[in-house]
Amino acid sequence: MSGKTPSCSNNSVIQAQKLVEQLRLEASMVRFKISLTAADLVQYCQEHRCSDPLLMGIAASSNPFKEKKTCVLL
Amino acid sequence: MAAEKAEMDALKKECDALRTQIEAARKAANDGSMSAAAGGVASVGRVQLKLRKNLKGHLAKIYAMHWSADSRSMVSASQDGKLLVWDTFTGNKLVAVPLKSAWVMSVDFAPSGNLVASGGLDNICTVYNIKAASPKTLRELDAHTGYLSCCRFLSDSEILTASGDTTCCLWDLETGKQKIIFTNHIGDCMSLALSPDMNYFISGACDSLAKLWDVREGACKQTFSGHTSDINAIAFFPSGNAVITGSDDCSCKMYDLRADQEVLDYTDSSLNAGVTSLALSNSGRLIFAGYDDFNCHIWDSLKGEKVGVLSGHDNRVSCTGVPEDGMGVCTGSWDSFLKLWN
Repeated sequence: MSGKTPSCSNNSVIQAQKLVEQLRLEASMVRFKISLTAADLVQYCQEHRCSDPLLMGIAASSNPFKEKKTCVLL
Repeated sequence: MAAEKAEMDALKKECDALRTQIEAARKAANDGSMSAAAGGVASVGRVQLKLRKNLKGHLAKIYAMHWSADSRSMVSASQDGKLLVWDTFTGNKLVAVPLKSAWVMSVDFAPSGNLVASGGLDNICTVYNIKAASPKTLRELDAHTGYLSCCRFLSDSEILTASGDTTCCLWDLETGKQKIIFTNHIGDCMSLALSPDMNYFISGACDSLAKLWDVREGACKQTFSGHTSDINAIAFFPSGNAVITGSDDCSCKMYDLRADQEVLDYTDSSLNAGVTSLALSNSGRLIFAGYDDFNCHIWDSLKGEKVGVLSGHDNRVSCTGVPEDGMGVCTGSWDSFLKLWN
């Protein structure tokens, strides 16, 4: 037609096609109900409570970051 | 021209239909809430951690830090042009790596402890062998056309990078070449996190979206929206089934991967500072989030409540990390100090 290059519009079409492909992929996933998945997350936290030192607290004697003060017998 | 316009219109119509389909599917899965599920769980009470060490050594803003898998060594990166490897038990500096470019934004420790990687405004991810007599540059991964915002080792032979050029990339360290380029974000990628099983990774970007990728396939599997500004920080919940994000919109969010949507929002009306970094405690119950307000605030990940704060830095908290053994939290700041708390 006129001197306009069609490459710009081809690019937009390719971009739109890619977007459609991506959305198709994302739309196809099987989603699980929040009532089930949330309960699962809660259960994980509860099951791993005891192996979470920041939650349980750390005894001074086994604290690797605590400054060790040596006892001196006078 | 008319044919192209017709095709564009058809494609746009299909996009809209697919988006509606996704929203409907999410709505159908939205039959409960995190608050309801966490209703019967005991509160964690007030979490009060003490400052155990103040690590001095850097001469300028600290931008990033990462724990070694041994939960004892830690590497930090500062715009003073150095990486420092610390023995956190003694507070001693073990190794100093001078950087070619001082504008560093990210640092990582390989699981083996042999290598560290860093990168920033030079657009390059440089990998160093720190077990050599003096730190030796192993590889310069140079292909991104934007700044390197984040790098994460999968092993001594593979590393993932996130860049301001809107892509993420999987590199082969033996050849120094790109294996897979992950394209889909429309804004600078700011952060990435590997899933516990290392088959997936999640990225956060300035397009305010978080995306889940298959490491081997290269495909973007899921996209999470909700934030209204750049996502600066991202981490997997330890079970691998949820993701926590931190954003310039001053909030953190939890996205459930299997329900494919946001399930919790961590906001406080008194908190008007952007989130720069975040890390989870070992059970996933506590979220340590670094903010521009100079503090690291602690959130109960299940109940969405603020349960504590780590105060002491004199400038923005830029990085936060919890070691594998979960024995403490490290915060790094623009005030040039790293602090260890537990």
